[in-house]
Amino acid sequence: MSLYQWLLFFHVTGAFFLIGGIVIAGILNLAAIVKDRPPSQVATLYGLIRFAVPLIGVGLVLTLAIGLWLVHNVGYSYGQTWIVLAIVLWVVASALGNIDGKYQRRTGELAQSLAAEGDAPSTELRARLRNPRALLISYGSGLMAFAVLGLMIWKPGV
Amino acid sequence: MLALVRPDSWNLPLFLHVLGATLTFGATTTVAVLGFAGIQGDRERTAWLRSLTFWVSFGILVPAFILMRGTALWILDKEFPGGHNEPGWVNVGFAVSEPGALLVIVMVILAWFSRSPKSRVAVAVPWLAAILLAGLAVAWFAMSAKPGA
Repeated sequence: MSLYQWLLFFHVTGAFFLIGGIVIAGILNLAAIVKDRPPSQVATLYGLIRFAVPLIGVGLVLTLAIGLWLVHNVGYSYGQTWIVLAIVLWVVASALGNIDGKYQRRTGELAQSLAAEGDAPSTELRARLRNPRALLISYGSGLMAFAVLGLMIWKPGV
Repeated sequence: MLALVRPDSWNLPLFLHVLGATLTFGATTTVAVLGFAGIQGDRERTAWLRSLTFWVSFGILVPAFILMRGTALWILDKEFPGGHNEPGWVNVGFAVSEPGALLVIVMVILAWFSRSPKSRVAVAVPWLAAILLAGLAVAWFAMSAKPGA
């Protein structure tokens, strides 16, 4: 196999890890939101989201590092529209994902402490789970990753 | 280098195929994570985790798998019309997705029966998901690197 084939494989693997991790976190987050669950169940779901975090991290590194190597290997210009757009979206999605990660961690900690204190329903937890701004950041960063996937296929400007 | 000369009309089916594949990977991993978490614990915990495992497998994994497999046929029809001269990496996709479809069906059925905390088949669901994940990894290697192309 050529270097190009190996690079493409690891780049696609990064995309699978990144989007797969986003899907896992999204499903578990949605499961916590769509139903009024006791804090112990929310804490369990948020605890399981930790399995998505390394996938997202490795995916972010592989998609960018191997992606840039592929640009060099194939001979594309780094200034092409789709490459610039993809990098900008990658940076914005990563920054929003970082903000979201911190928010989700605090929500998980709150759910854990409420579960330990009797597991009674909490308006504070419900408000945090359904905070529109937090949901916008969370799902916005995920959608940006899907937009990058679209850019990789359509390659506008080529 | 095929990606560099790909006709525009292939882009939509290819995008939907890759989207379906990544959603399938994410949903299968979620089924595995929820399934393993639902094996042990008190009755109430295992009941809701197993119920959620069923709903994720039925409501998300099945549609994602159908999207992935359906759009694979769409792009295949454009790239190799009439099924002529299909390279080996295409056959790897079939070799994974056909038994994979059966695995998904069995997984959904077992997840349905596993919703009871008394069920003994609950342990099979996350392991079947793990087997499907291994198959998906083989397929994405074949689809992306296209060895022998």
